[in-house]
Amino acid sequence: MRPRCVVSAGSSLNEDAPPVIEARGITRQYGELTALDGVSFTVRPGEIYGILGPNGAGKTTLVEILEGLNRPTAGDATVLGYDIRTQIGEVKKRVGVQLQASSYHQYLTLREILELFGSFYPRSAEAGELLARVHLEDRADARINQLSGGMKQRFSIVAALVNEPDLVFFDEPTAGLDPDARRDLWQIVRDVRDSGATVVLTTHYMEEAEALCDRVQLMHAGKIAAVDTPAGLVRSLHAPYRVRVTTGAALDERTVAALPGTSEVRHTTEGDLHVVELRAQDAPRTVTALTDLAHDAGTEVIDLAVLPATLEDVFLSVTGRELSG
Amino acid sequence: MRALFGASLKMVVRDKQALFWALIFPIMFLGVFRLFSFDSFGTTDLLVSVQDEASPAQQALVAALGESDFLDVTVAESTLDLASAEAAIEDDTASAVVLLTSEGAEARAELIHGISDPIGASVIEAGVSSVVDNVNLQLQGGRPPIEYVAASVDAEDTTFFEFLGPGIIGMGLMNFATISLAGSLSRYREEGVLRRIRATPLPPWKFFGSVVLAHMVVAALQVVIIAVVAELLGANVLRGGIPFLVLAVLGTVIFLNIGVIVAGLVHGRGAVEGAANAITLPMMFLAGTFFPVSQLPGAVQLAVQALPLTHLLVAMRAFVEGESVISQWPELLILAGWIVGTAVVARFTFSLEDNG
Repeated sequence: MRPRCVVSAGSSLNEDAPPVIEARGITRQYGELTALDGVSFTVRPGEIYGILGPNGAGKTTLVEILEGLNRPTAGDATVLGYDIRTQIGEVKKRVGVQLQASSYHQYLTLREILELFGSFYPRSAEAGELLARVHLEDRADARINQLSGGMKQRFSIVAALVNEPDLVFFDEPTAGLDPDARRDLWQIVRDVRDSGATVVLTTHYMEEAEALCDRVQLMHAGKIAAVDTPAGLVRSLHAPYRVRVTTGAALDERTVAALPGTSEVRHTTEGDLHVVELRAQDAPRTVTALTDLAHDAGTEVIDLAVLPATLEDVFLSVTGRELSG
Repeated sequence: MRALFGASLKMVVRDKQALFWALIFPIMFLGVFRLFSFDSFGTTDLLVSVQDEASPAQQALVAALGESDFLDVTVAESTLDLASAEAAIEDDTASAVVLLTSEGAEARAELIHGISDPIGASVIEAGVSSVVDNVNLQLQGGRPPIEYVAASVDAEDTTFFEFLGPGIIGMGLMNFATISLAGSLSRYREEGVLRRIRATPLPPWKFFGSVVLAHMVVAALQVVIIAVVAELLGANVLRGGIPFLVLAVLGTVIFLNIGVIVAGLVHGRGAVEGAANAITLPMMFLAGTFFPVSQLPGAVQLAVQALPLTHLLVAMRAFVEGESVISQWPELLILAGWIVGTAVVARFTFSLEDNG
């Protein structure tokens, strides 16, 4: 599948500009175990690039190699034009890094931590301004362990921006957060991109990749399974719709299974009602066929839903496995 | 670099547990020991049972025990056996009983005591055994090969509290340096701070260096504060002057190195704190913090020479007593060896690349 590129509102995506990340055949082995197996991809300026996959797919190892926290066994990459093998010091000056676990000093205040980290870089943003960006300005004198989970995540995001980076890595930025806190964080990530930085984020939440990312790289067992925009990935599915029909009486299973252009048929019941759920290539045709079947069975369609397929479906169809599994 | 050092310093000072070991714990000891009257402290009620009043060995031993400063000796009216000795201890007639028996020309002294605290128990055991040793020497006649008297003459100049002062300072330094540094480093590793630092352009050794340096600065402040408190309580430690303070801070390096080694070898914060305590606690009691090493039994006396705190305290006390720096060269040489040796081991056991 050829990577496609989409310009989204507010981004300064430029296909002709030199890539922000160019990785070629990144491989990482731990003894017998191959965590990454020949991963090649390109990240362009101004995009939010998502790396989506289940736990253990190699997402964190991959970003750690690009951040200089880990070394590839084979392959090479440039980040912001610098070789990660020979110029990692230059890379570290210019990228922002948010690590998976909360990782800051428990005896310093938020302001002190930001000032401390700012002192490690040639240029740095003012602590108060940074905290305001994530609505933590009134917590400047609090310590990490006085913050809620969502606040901690917001802080770890803003701590990654202390050097006004051109590229920011977010590793599972919303892991363990409730839906409200997660949506807040998505907006913050969009703000980061809108302020001119390129964002690379890893996630195992399909809806996060769909809602947030300009392009998504699906990873499975150390390899890239597919790269495209979320919509492009779904469109690439053989059957890109989910159809769900609720009827008063059961439809004939064999006839439903024989409907052209359908797959993954599931029959269930909800009380007295019968539900058929399936994936369809051509939603209008399938809906018509199902309505006719209901009519023939002497019942009627009580409820009908047509949904686009999700990245979950894409992941399943590309890897044969459930994303959340 | 200044911001980094300032932050490291703040982190040490704000760590309440580190401050407890650094200041509260030693000052608490000073205060508690000051409350005791040292004339009666350490005096043990000793009941001596004489089986054969005609035995010269038994006579000599009763006399020698009676001369001892830390024993309040009563001679039993009748000869006791083991059961009646135990009964005397149980009903608090005495804290300890010495049963003297003779078989032909050979005399035998058996100590039974009911002292459950380890310091008290080792004091009575070491004390009585040293009296027996002395009597043995006297009875064998001739001059003892080692003039033991000189040491006790020296001790007369120093009150127990004066003896205690440097011990408490050394103990405080050791506890703080080892426990706090090992704890901080393991925390930085486990909470991912080290990892987060490695993602910045800051060379990790600078971060490590600033943490160690902050501990050294706090240790220096700690020495001054405890020394002043000890001085005010009458321990006269400030007589040791600059050499005393410099030695104390240099000695801290050994315990900082040990802290780094512990953090390198042991993983898991609880385990690191446990290991640091397992090293410092026995050393605190054995290395002559509270009582002279000379009061320990012979074999233990030899063994505690292997502890760095023993040598640090010998040199610190010598400086307080006005000895010259040169005169302490053997101790200083041993301490220098400890500094270098622990630094080398620390270098190879602790890794900044560690991901926990």
